Amino acid sequence: MSLGAMAVAACGGSGSERAAVSEASDTDVASVLVMACTGCHSDQSGAIASLNVYDSDQLRDALLQYKTDANGTTVMHRLARGYSDAEIDLISAQLGQDDVSP
Amino acid sequence: MSLVFNRRNLIQSAVLGASAAALPGSAMAQARARIVIVGGGFGGATAALTLKRLLPSSDITLIEPFDQFVACPFSNLVIAGLRDITSQSFSYDRLEAAGITRIADTAIDVDPVAKTVSLQWGDDLTYDKLILSPGIDFRFEALEGYHSGMTGRLPHAWKAGSQTLWLQLKLQALEDGQTVIMSVPPAPYRCPPGPYERASLIAHFLKTQKPRSKLIILDAKDQFSKMALFKEAWEEHYPDHLEWRGASNDGTVVRVDAEADTVFTDFESFQSPAINVIPPQKAGFIAERAGVADATGWCPIDPLSFASTLQSDIHVIGDATIAAPMPKSAFSANLQGKVCAVAIARIVAGMSPEPTVLANTCYSYTTPDEAISIAGVYSNAGGKLSSISGAGGVSPLRADKAIRNAEAAQAHHWFETITAEAFG
Repeated sequence: MSLGAMAVAACGGSGSERAAVSEASDTDVASVLVMACTGCHSDQSGAIASLNVYDSDQLRDALLQYKTDANGTTVMHRLARGYSDAEIDLISAQLGQDDVSP
Repeated sequence: MSLVFNRRNLIQSAVLGASAAALPGSAMAQARARIVIVGGGFGGATAALTLKRLLPSSDITLIEPFDQFVACPFSNLVIAGLRDITSQSFSYDRLEAAGITRIADTAIDVDPVAKTVSLQWGDDLTYDKLILSPGIDFRFEALEGYHSGMTGRLPHAWKAGSQTLWLQLKLQALEDGQTVIMSVPPAPYRCPPGPYERASLIAHFLKTQKPRSKLIILDAKDQFSKMALFKEAWEEHYPDHLEWRGASNDGTVVRVDAEADTVFTDFESFQSPAINVIPPQKAGFIAERAGVADATGWCPIDPLSFASTLQSDIHVIGDATIAAPMPKSAFSANLQGKVCAVAIARIVAGMSPEPTVLANTCYSYTTPDEAISIAGVYSNAGGKLSSISGAGGVSPLRADKAIRNAEAAQAHHWFETITAEAFG
């Protein structure tokens, strides 16, 4: 059984249980790094994107693009430049929704 | 040992069951620390909820005298008549539902040796860890002629609530053609760009409702946050309704006379029925009682855990801290609350706090549908908070209106998100 399949089995794939897993009590490096993200990003889409709809590859690509676009002026461009590629990997893996995709 | 729960091994431990007891995450689950938090703002409320999640068996007590928290961010829109104050108000119901004990009382003293907090009405509380998130208090003595009884006549509106409405009322009662005065203190103070957002929105109010009136900002500084962006917006939108005077242009207010509705700089006096005195500031008074404030009036901290450098087992977060280059903002307080909670949970479980990367974003409205922003990214490694070079900065100058509109919409989304995270 793959990790992803285990997650689906453990969570039953329903929204509420999914939330329970993503809010687990964590204090590891990745869990603390993403605490800066949730001040603006919620599970509601709007003027600021919801992070619940991207897998980790999509997040990593987006963050690296923000970081390396020298002409970018949005808040995300300005923030992404402060993170190393390794930190972006950790953040993307932590927030990506790979585990719970069917 | 650094093995802790993350999402993946949480799932594994759910499957493997029995091995969970060997993990430090389990030490957190079982820890029965007594943690007292003073102040239910963006910092304290967030720290309380985060700690309850990380240390579910511990006693988390929040001391906050008011039943409703009234948020400062977005309160400048209320002053300008663009937003209802009820949209600024949040209860502690969700915190109480999460198992946090809220005591509706005021912390009046701390004994850092006995590790007790004295309350105005109730019995003393004993803590293992104390988090102070007391926000700001005013240095009334720093302005000649000013004292705490004058805030009705000369509202500060720098703590949101009745003061916000009082300043709104004074603006509404203004006769067209009368001048509005705002006095801005020297740094540091809560919300560095806040006075200039307020000035923008007051100028918008005057332009649309009292077109012969104008606002004069008397500033104790020559430079301020997002200055070029604000000045650009003011030239575009409020050339006849806003005048800014910096310190080197005799802008510093040195004396007030509330009876005469007058403030004084070195060489001039300004009379108005609508004077907004934003007073010089310091950490909330309990910080001084606890011995965690230094000679500056603010609280030095170890940025890894937000532990006071002056007293053991007391942590300080939010506006009260000396955390520069992180600004005194709601975003900073919220994130510091989370980072502090993680550090305490790790300490309680026998682990050390780890360095991380912190961030801040502050939006300011320049018109009801245009905003500008400043962002920063910070390291708390090496015993200090430092800006990560190459990151952060402000919105572009001479930007399309669409960019300003987009940041106004983002500001609104940010407010909804951060208040939901802090208060539910």
